[in-house]
Amino acid sequence: MEVSKGQSPDKQMKMDSTEHTVLNEALERMWIQFLPQIEERVTTLESAIAAISTGPLSTEQHEAAHAAAHKLAGVLGTFGLTRGTELARELEIFYSSEHGAETAMRERLISIAAELRAVVESRK
Amino acid sequence: MSHRILIIDDEEDIREVAALSLETVAGWEVVVASSGAQGLARAIEHQPDAILLDVMMPGMDGAATFRELRKNPATARIPVLLLTAKVQSSDQRRFADLGVEAVLFKPFDPLTLSTQIAGVLGWK
Repeated sequence: MEVSKGQSPDKQMKMDSTEHTVLNEALERMWIQFLPQIEERVTTLESAIAAISTGPLSTEQHEAAHAAAHKLAGVLGTFGLTRGTELARELEIFYSSEHGAETAMRERLISIAAELRAVVESRK
Repeated sequence: MSHRILIIDDEEDIREVAALSLETVAGWEVVVASSGAQGLARAIEHQPDAILLDVMMPGMDGAATFRELRKNPATARIPVLLLTAKVQSSDQRRFADLGVEAVLFKPFDPLTLSTQIAGVLGWK
């Protein structure tokens, strides 16, 4: 089995510039199309973090936060938001293993969510 | 040379961006499915040259879908590439044990996704 993480720059250079333009324009349209659900996922994470002050997250809240972080990690970098993927991945890892530790991590989680929101806003 | 690719992913944004990428950059024909069950049916119907399969899906996940594809004589020989946002080493070991052709990671670069796939499968 091969694990593929990318390709050599010379292959990228062979791509026709017209294809680049067509693809980039289409990606911009898709960003606009999918922005509402991307923002909704960020809101899900913000809500989960805000709920920490009232006590531990329910299993449903925890699973929703994990799913939102996983989806954001997968998609933000595809739209060029590499930092967004890094932040979402940190949250995904947290929510995949640390159920119950939200209070101790609260400040860090708030910081990540705020930066994540700013990253998404910056691409609008 | 044109190829037909089946993309199985429950996330519409990923599905649409991947389809756009493969159609625009490589000129391949793309068939999409939003669940493992739908993917199995479309694989039998369309006989794609390769399948790009998401790992984390509700219901039948990527691993279960892969096993069903391998069980069915109509789809058993179609190369399968996993597409995943999971980067933890324990996940990667689990994926390697499945017997897929390759594991590609989200986020992917829409400009180079087709080259990655072609490279793994030896397509020119």
